[in-house]
Amino acid sequence: MDTAGNLSYLSERAQQARPVQPGTLQDGSRIAVIGAGPAGSMFSYFLLNMADTIALDIDVDIYEPRHFCHRGPAGCNHCGGIVSESLVQRLATEGIMLPEDVVQRGIESYTLHMDVGDVEIATPLNEKRIAAIYRGNGPRNSEPLDTHSFDGYLLDMAQNSGARVIHKLVTDVRRNMDGMQVTSADQHCDTYDLVVVATGVNSRLMETLEQQTQEFRRPERTKTFICEFKLGREVIRNTFGPSMHVFLLDIPRLEFAALIPKGDYVTLCLLGDDIDDELMEKFFESPEVRNCFPGGVIPAHACHCYPRINIRAAKPAYGDRLVMIGDSGTTRLFKDGIGAAYRTAKAAAKTAVFHGIMAEDFKAHYWPLCQKINNDNRVGKMVFAFATLVQKARFARRGVLRMTVNEQRQASVTPRMSGVLWDLFSGSAPYTDVFLRTLHPAYIGSLLWNLLASNMPGHAAEHDLQSESEHRHVEH
Amino acid sequence: MSSTESRQSAPAEQPFRTLAQQLEKLPPCQAQCPNSGDIRGWLGIIAQHEKLGLGLQDAYDKAWQRLTELNPLPATLGRICPHPCESLCTRAGKDGAISINAMERFIGDWGISRSLALAKPAPEQHPESVGVIGSGPASLSFAYQMARRGYSVTVYEEHDLPGGMLRHAIPDYRLPRDVLDAEIRRIFELGINLERNFRIGKDISFDELRDRHTLIFLGLGAQAARHLGIPGEDGPGVISGIDYLRQRKRRIASLTGKQVAVVGGGNTAIDAARSARREGAGVTLLYRRSAEEMPAAAHEVEDAISEGVKIRYLVAPTRIIRQGTEIQEVEVQAMRLGEADENGRRRPVPVPGELERLPVDAVIAAVAQAPNWRGIDPLGDARNWLRTEEDGRLDNNIWAGGDDRGPGIASQAIAQGRLAAESAHAELREEPAPPRTPTRKPVESTNVKADYYRAQQRVCSPRRAEHDWLSNPELEIDQTIDDQQALQEAQRCMSCGLCFDCEQCFMYCNVGGFTHIEEAGPGRYLALALDACEGCGKCIEVCPCGYLEARDYTT
Repeated sequence: MDTAGNLSYLSERAQQARPVQPGTLQDGSRIAVIGAGPAGSMFSYFLLNMADTIALDIDVDIYEPRHFCHRGPAGCNHCGGIVSESLVQRLATEGIMLPEDVVQRGIESYTLHMDVGDVEIATPLNEKRIAAIYRGNGPRNSEPLDTHSFDGYLLDMAQNSGARVIHKLVTDVRRNMDGMQVTSADQHCDTYDLVVVATGVNSRLMETLEQQTQEFRRPERTKTFICEFKLGREVIRNTFGPSMHVFLLDIPRLEFAALIPKGDYVTLCLLGDDIDDELMEKFFESPEVRNCFPGGVIPAHACHCYPRINIRAAKPAYGDRLVMIGDSGTTRLFKDGIGAAYRTAKAAAKTAVFHGIMAEDFKAHYWPLCQKINNDNRVGKMVFAFATLVQKARFARRGVLRMTVNEQRQASVTPRMSGVLWDLFSGSAPYTDVFLRTLHPAYIGSLLWNLLASNMPGHAAEHDLQSESEHRHVEH
Repeated sequence: MSSTESRQSAPAEQPFRTLAQQLEKLPPCQAQCPNSGDIRGWLGIIAQHEKLGLGLQDAYDKAWQRLTELNPLPATLGRICPHPCESLCTRAGKDGAISINAMERFIGDWGISRSLALAKPAPEQHPESVGVIGSGPASLSFAYQMARRGYSVTVYEEHDLPGGMLRHAIPDYRLPRDVLDAEIRRIFELGINLERNFRIGKDISFDELRDRHTLIFLGLGAQAARHLGIPGEDGPGVISGIDYLRQRKRRIASLTGKQVAVVGGGNTAIDAARSARREGAGVTLLYRRSAEEMPAAAHEVEDAISEGVKIRYLVAPTRIIRQGTEIQEVEVQAMRLGEADENGRRRPVPVPGELERLPVDAVIAAVAQAPNWRGIDPLGDARNWLRTEEDGRLDNNIWAGGDDRGPGIASQAIAQGRLAAESAHAELREEPAPPRTPTRKPVESTNVKADYYRAQQRVCSPRRAEHDWLSNPELEIDQTIDDQQALQEAQRCMSCGLCFDCEQCFMYCNVGGFTHIEEAGPGRYLALALDACEGCGKCIEVCPCGYLEARDYTT
């Protein structure tokens, strides 16, 4: 056969040449995974398990200088820490069961806060609940609790699958004659067949790599804000309940704001276009936010950071013997970053084990998934633009509120607005799905009716809605 | 500073800020070293040699230069120092303190084998001349520091060779003569004059000497031994620990085959006991307190026991019983520990009626040393130690250091000599006095993240086989680590309180606030743009060595 002939020709060449680096993983191939966030750990886990199914014996080194047993930013990968139920289920099918001590609190509803009132959106029937987790081991100076870091849990899993963790900071990655050379801060060098970049966008390695290889454009980032308030379990149960509190406020550049209850703490997460002091000040001054806290007073924060998020994917997110996964490659806009880490990690692992580790392999088998996410993000931008319009117009906010309240009150009404908002807040569904649902004539009709009804002169809707809402502190 | 504190001190309008700053801190090793040795500094040159663009050999040379700025006797101190620097090493809680003593020994030997010369940074020569009485570690340190500052220095030594107690009392199996010779020779090569066999009060009066020099340094040591003060002490067969060690250094054997009681619990007592074992005596060490209170270095005590020294704790000699002039027995009183004294050590109290007689042929009294001002009348009563100011100033143009100010370890003597030289130099040059108190705040061990550092076994000095210790009595027991072991050990240093370029802050700062310094130097690798800091505090928390800290932004 032709192929066989070609292969024997190749193997002859291989014997003559110096170290020949095949474009696929072989027994004894060495893979460096840089970063042990969810993307890096899940990639290692999938790669080793997939390799095992075809009896491929490979070595995986995960480089991660930090320890997820540390509290505060030193052991944290900086994010709000929400895992949607669909992802919890998906991970379970992969054998990744989130244990009790990783899930800080099951979120059972979303409470939407607007100046015109607020409404609690219950979990849709097909979803159970959402898991609130800590990426690290809890906030700075927190008491040692019997909690476990989400990232730490995934890393343990990767280690149990056979990955080796090297607690070193990678400072340089470059291509050389023998493969990919990885250098750490202590000047130690090692050569690998494949380098998987899973550093996220809060590290400088992507910048170094971009300059080094000149092969891709690193992701674009924007600044966000996350902080932790310590209120105690009891207070949190009484004031926040098992609900994630989401704010639609008329503050320029603020795309999304949420308070997420977790054990003794509440995590605040502000997303948007370059969150700065001015924006944060406006946010904390707004009565909708103040009233969420006991006594209407924002307490001192226990821990905070300004993580960057990926708002435009790396292009391309691959090269020969090089692939970027998770936030280093592409992620979903604002939401479900862990879900995107899972999908990119799995696709990259599959490509490496079953197809090859050269640019063309990743282009054919990995990049399409990234493109799909990127395209969905374009739709997501539109959806968020629409949400911004709602945020800006008081009459629109009234309409949205009325429609949602009615849906939540009457089980017989199809929860069109509730579903859209749920998926938008939780990241459970692709933005394209959300968008298509808003084009449904019944949705548009209902929204128009609610816009009219809620804005009729002398309408008592606001009063009704206020009594409907379960929030004691809301003032209008 | 914890975030709670920073929040309290922060103005209300900026609640979300933990601004960072770089601040070098005092590491525990340096804080514990009597001579404030820059241990982290010279270990860092070795550990970070690649980042500093140095070959390993150059790095060892540079480390030696850095070390000898404060201590001109590293090969010596690397052998005899009880190394308090290791006691609070942050690494101790992880996988053992850094072997600083073994490292100092390696660096010292490196300097000797490479014939490195001590640096003399001051090119100008000052007109003043300096007289140094005695040539122990304090005097050598003073002479060295003054010579390298450009003064003409003359050392007056009553014996044939300089070195003081280092030469005359430290046994060969702990400090070989050629090592000491090499290090002392190097100091005199700076152009220091040596007057040997020169006795103040006999060859010249102290006043004449004062006229000869602008200033005098007294490094007389503590040459006399305190007596036991018990009946039967006067007569043959009783010798002080220090005199016995001097005899042994001259290879005089006097106790071979005899039963000897050594009285005392300090390093001199242990040295005397082990030396007596080396000439074939049976040795019982009598100490009036328990093992816990014993001032001798614990490893020396262990070695003494493995060499066959028997130790009797909680006994005090009360009488030496003689037949004619021959010692027959020593009577000992059993003791118990009573109340703590002013130093916190529990005082031994006799247990009434519990007396015991031990058959011995000789007694070595190594209880304490005392000063001896032979020929130097102005120093007053020989029962009192010299009382100087903190920097060693005794009188107009007279400075003092070492054991004549009270007993201490060699490192302390070197420190006293150095500090006196710094002060004397400042006075002569009419410069402001050098600061005495530590100018840097100590690093808090909680700010050093031991987890960050890779676990690595401590390297210890290799030792000769134990069975060989007594059969080759004068041969040194401890050996020097090799250059690869030294590199490995230096790399274990966590560099508490000073940047070692781990690059975590550089890598994780979201605003790119850290940049690499072009001309990197030890501890200076990254610059922080204070204006750029967003105050997330992440760099402070990831900084493994505690160099980065929160800054008060109200100032």
